[in-house]
Amino acid sequence: MDRNQIAKWFKEPSKMANKYSLHAIYFCTGCGIIEVPPVITARWDAERFGVIPVATPRQANLFLITGYVSVKTLKAIIRTYEQMYEPKYAVAFGSCPINGGMYWDSYNTIKHLDKYIPIDGWIAGCMPRPEAIFVAVTHLWTLIDKGMANGYERYKKYYRAYRRNQELALGKLEWPPLYPIGEHTEGGECD
Amino acid sequence: MIEQLKRELEATFKGVSVTSEADRRITVVVDPLQTIALLRFFKDRGFSHLALLSAVDLIDKHAFELVYILTSYAEDTGEDAVPGELILVVKSMIPRDKPTFKSVINIYPNAEPYEREIHELFGIHFDGHRRLTPLFLERQYPIPPFRKDFDTRRYVEDVFGSIPAIGDEEG
Ligand code: SF4
Repeated sequence: MDRNQIAKWFKEPSKMANKYSLHAIYFCTGCGIIEVPPVITARWDAERFGVIPVATPRQANLFLITGYVSVKTLKAIIRTYEQMYEPKYAVAFGSCPINGGMYWDSYNTIKHLDKYIPIDGWIAGCMPRPEAIFVAVTHLWTLIDKGMANGYERYKKYYRAYRRNQELALGKLEWPPLYPIGEHTEGGECD
Repeated sequence: MIEQLKRELEATFKGVSVTSEADRRITVVVDPLQTIALLRFFKDRGFSHLALLSAVDLIDKHAFELVYILTSYAEDTGEDAVPGELILVVKSMIPRDKPTFKSVINIYPNAEPYEREIHELFGIHFDGHRRLTPLFLERQYPIPPFRKDFDTRRYVEDVFGSIPAIGDEEG
């Protein structure tokens, strides 16, 4: 452990513990299924960075969405994100979730993932190299340190707007709202 | 072998065109009224496997072309049957303004999901198919999205472009 960090550990132990033990759930919709396996296995060994894959969203606090998001997978992504416990961080990997990437004019892919769930970090590239995931992880540490990786708080705050966008894309959702809608009236609207 | 099959086909079916652009591949173009009989004919000859059923939107010709790809398992072919290495491509065109065709489920049961898919993406109706319900798509589209006159760009702008961004997302 880095000695310089000892003070931080005493000040905010839970934050530091979160930061260095990211339990990742992967949503390998596109290129991620190629790039993520070498990242978590011997070749690049994500455990050096404290990132370990877990089996279910209920054990995870890092959500990697890797590759294009079709309308159908968006549904699964929302459900996965809502099942994770807080604090949770979502990182979108590849140009597809950022703005549609090369599927920008497809009839069936979601173009801007951050309209539907909050994203804490983006990894640009098509497809990004495994190293990019580590750059993203170290970057995420900085954001967590500064309290800027606060997507889950934004989700709570703007839940009404998020839920409205989700319903615009998917039609009526068959699961109940995660947070009571209408509780945060001011700031909940965004247009 | 191909020559023999060709002669047989031309004797049985009117106006059928048989071409072979590769060693093992034969393309048979037939008018839609005879397609079902032709598929039965091939099934009886040992082409027991429908490898693919697909559709092409030939918008300039105002037609949809249905493409059936048939193969055979070698052990199925009897003595007087055609050999198993052949790949048969059966094509027939149906009018675009009346996109209806007969289901081939009773000849090739595995056509079921293919026909559902084509129904969903091209809007071609298959008579005799009992489950033409949505297969892949989550959304309703103004016209089936694989048709050539579906303007994906406009659709994307209208639908996904109109979904607003969230407040201070950059926060
Ligand atoms: S970012 Fe590129 S490689 Fe990855 S899913 Fe999109 S198009 Fe494919």
